[in-house]
Amino acid sequence: MTEWLHRLLLLIPLLPLLAGFWIGLGVIFKWNRGEQGERETALLAVGSALLVFLALLGLAVYSAVNGSLGTIIISRWLESGNIQASVSLLFDGLSLSLATVFSFIILLTLHFSVNYLHREASFQRFFLIMCLFHTAMLLIVLGGNLMVTFVGWELAGISSYLLISYSWQREYASTNATRAFVTNRVGDAGFLLAIFMALIYWGNCDWEALLVQSQMEPGLVANLIVLGLILAACIKSAQFPFSAWISHALEGPTPSSGVFYGSVMVHAGIYLLLRLSPMLEQMPIIAWLLAAMGLATVVYAWFLAQMQTDIKSSLIFSTLMQVGMMVVAIAAGWTTLALIHLVLHAIWRIYQFLWSPSFLQQTSSPAPAAPAWFQNNLWLHNACLQRFWLDRLADTFLVKPTRLLAHEAQLFDQQVVDRLTGTPSHTNVLSTLVQMQALQTGSLQLSNQVGIGSGIFGKLLQRIAEIMEWFEERLVLKSSSDGLAGLATVLGERAELVETYLRQPRYMLVLIAATLVVVL
Amino acid sequence: MIDFLILLLLMPVAGALFILFLPEQRQPWIRPTALITATLTLLYTLYLATQMDFSNPAVQLVAEYQWNKRLGTYFSFGVDGLSYPLVALTNLLTLAAIAVSTQIKERIKGYYILLLLLEAATMGVFLTQGWALFYVFWELVLIPLFFLIDRWGGVNRQRAALNFVLYTMGGSVFMLLGLLMLFDANPEHRFLFASVKRASAVIPPETQTLIFLGLMIGLGVKMPLFPLHGWLPLAHVEAPSPVSILLSGILLKMGAYGLIRSAEMLPAAALNLQNFMMALGMIGMLYGGLLAWRQSDLKKMIAYSSVSHMGVVMIGIAALNENGLMGAAYQMVAHGLVAGALFMLIGLLYERTHTRDINDYGSLLRATPRFAVLIILALVGGVGLPGTAGFIGELHALIGGFERWGWLVAVLSLGMLITATYSLRTVKQLYTGPVNLSMQQVPDLKPLELAAGGILVAGTLLLGFYPLPLLNVLLSSLQAIAAPFGA
Repeated sequence: MTEWLHRLLLLIPLLPLLAGFWIGLGVIFKWNRGEQGERETALLAVGSALLVFLALLGLAVYSAVNGSLGTIIISRWLESGNIQASVSLLFDGLSLSLATVFSFIILLTLHFSVNYLHREASFQRFFLIMCLFHTAMLLIVLGGNLMVTFVGWELAGISSYLLISYSWQREYASTNATRAFVTNRVGDAGFLLAIFMALIYWGNCDWEALLVQSQMEPGLVANLIVLGLILAACIKSAQFPFSAWISHALEGPTPSSGVFYGSVMVHAGIYLLLRLSPMLEQMPIIAWLLAAMGLATVVYAWFLAQMQTDIKSSLIFSTLMQVGMMVVAIAAGWTTLALIHLVLHAIWRIYQFLWSPSFLQQTSSPAPAAPAWFQNNLWLHNACLQRFWLDRLADTFLVKPTRLLAHEAQLFDQQVVDRLTGTPSHTNVLSTLVQMQALQTGSLQLSNQVGIGSGIFGKLLQRIAEIMEWFEERLVLKSSSDGLAGLATVLGERAELVETYLRQPRYMLVLIAATLVVVL
Repeated sequence: MIDFLILLLLMPVAGALFILFLPEQRQPWIRPTALITATLTLLYTLYLATQMDFSNPAVQLVAEYQWNKRLGTYFSFGVDGLSYPLVALTNLLTLAAIAVSTQIKERIKGYYILLLLLEAATMGVFLTQGWALFYVFWELVLIPLFFLIDRWGGVNRQRAALNFVLYTMGGSVFMLLGLLMLFDANPEHRFLFASVKRASAVIPPETQTLIFLGLMIGLGVKMPLFPLHGWLPLAHVEAPSPVSILLSGILLKMGAYGLIRSAEMLPAAALNLQNFMMALGMIGMLYGGLLAWRQSDLKKMIAYSSVSHMGVVMIGIAALNENGLMGAAYQMVAHGLVAGALFMLIGLLYERTHTRDINDYGSLLRATPRFAVLIILALVGGVGLPGTAGFIGELHALIGGFERWGWLVAVLSLGMLITATYSLRTVKQLYTGPVNLSMQQVPDLKPLELAAGGILVAGTLLLGFYPLPLLNVLLSSLQAIAAPFGA
């Protein structure tokens, strides 16, 4: 019985996913499109979020009264050797409170968006992705082990990518979406490293087991796991020097920007750090590093916030500053403070973001200019204008070398590998309309490609096939076409010849004489 | 008691007789009569499945009458798990062939009579339980086939028909010699399968090997084994398409079926010649595949691909274990469906475009989507992609071969690679590439043709996705055949 109830808990993260799936089906099969579909879409998205929120609230009250549910294993997923992974959810104070707050924020934002996106061409797409994102956040926060959290982590990355490129027609939007996604992938590498180390050395990646294990055997493995996760967390929460992507990520509709980068997804990294905080206490060097990062972010964001002229950008830098402060608090060990800061900040920030589109109507005075001392310090001013060259640095040191390497690799591929393997070239493809017309009038003939191989193996195949064809033509078909029938003809002619000889009397006489000779 | 199987054999004959005595003004009745006869035969065959117990390896529904006491010959019919699928395949493909015979417009009376007689004779080969009767039906198949190719075939039809008959007869001479030796060596002096099986314990291995070689030459011509396949390209190309369906769909299987039966009768010989058979299978597979790759004539390409596929069957038989034989039998059914479908579709395409040269085609996808779907599925089925019947067959043959020879069967996968090469090449040439304006008006498949081709392709997919029923039908009989050879 309780087992079944536990299985039902999986519905909490899955409900928004199912709602999104149904919206997607409706779009594909055309019953949910355009303005007529808005009602159904909104009902599904808001309804699922509401249900999830109520369920989480109930669970929170229940665990406040009866004590925490702890890790709940829903089903076993992977077992190989001594490696075990299961689909499990963790319901403790931290995860439940954050899941409830996040769900509440997403619920309100969805409700707000119903009117905000009214008659928008991609109304359904927006809500579908928001549902995906809701599932992603629930999986991150409620995931009972690193793998489940990682599934949510990736899903959040993808929905972020999809919403940044919401208006994909604009090149700027899709470029920035790619940039944000690629930066996040760097963090994913850290996350994967952590999962890998945990599974290989400890055979288990449950949150609770990780904490126990790291107490028992502190050392390189524990340090690497924590470092990998911190890398992932810092990139997701856009800590310095990985802050550049988030300021480009505001291309989507404002409600989604608010949810993703203002109040929910940006805190996913903080959640991860909060989870790791017991381990951090034993790793002072890493904690110092983290504090330095947080501090750098605070400084960076504070300076940049002075320079911003549009509301969304100034909000995002102010968000970054707050998040940096949370990181510093966690590094210093004040986790409760960080958690309370997180909750308050998330709620306040989403309010600001949702309010920002009507900012110009609400305020009478223009945005204040940067303070005078700041304007006078030319060098600093310039650095802030260029956002501390973070983008430029990343381009020079990461993107350009990668591009060069890719270019070299492609050259090698074209010059060497393609020739050896015989990848089809462009030689037999019509490239111009003139060629096409020539083909149709019959003045151009495409070369016969039947039985022609390319590349080493293709040529080898061709040689062997040619030899065999020669054999077939010469020995099998020829001998059979003229062959058996031909042989019969030849033999028949010979027999006829003998017959004609035999019909002549003198040969008969000779034959009789020969017989007599033999007999005698 | 009714003799189910004799009734089954007489059904197409009755249809043929009915067509024969139709008066001249009843010409339009001929085709429907043939269709109805073939349908009824197929339905009756399916009904027979309910009368059988496939978990029992014994021959069932036996009908046995003495024919010539002095020679020890019997009219003996029976069916087991190995022959039943082939009989069903025969009836299915005959029905499909009749369904797509619309382009035959002259002398249709003779045409349909011969098709039905061919069906009866082929079923006879699979149903008979004695070598004497086997030989009779074996030769009987030739007569309708000779006329079908010779009267309704392409430009070189006379040469093709003569060649085909000469080759088969030439092989049959060796088979006859083998059978006579067998009769002589059998202490009971009978031709019945059961009797020969009993005698195989007494016949010395050398004699067995000689007899087996004789049989193998006769059966190998039909199968066809390299280098006895000289008749095949010509006959397949020149025969009218419906006859090509039967030729490669069923008639090739007669040879393989006979070979399995011979191995069952003469186990010592089969073991002696095991490696030789394997080598022949390997050579046939690679040789046929490579030649198929070199052909620009579509029909010729499918003809050579048949040589290649029957090579796989041969390897399965040569493995002489349960998996190998299962692979051979499954591959026979799979290839029957695939080759039947391909010859039918290419034939129908030829009717519309009057060219079989692959270079004349291009970008047919838009003009003929139904053709495209069916041909691509059939070609993919020929490659043995997972999800098609060929995959199950090749997989079993591969496993069986591996149990027997180890890594040597890696060559088998090389053969599959070559098959993929020419199949995908064909898809590419037919359906993609530069648009050929003259090909854009090609009419698509008509409903009846779509149904006939669709059933064959659907059968391939069904047997690929859900192989268990056919595996169960074949299993117990093949286990019994494989048992004497050990692991």
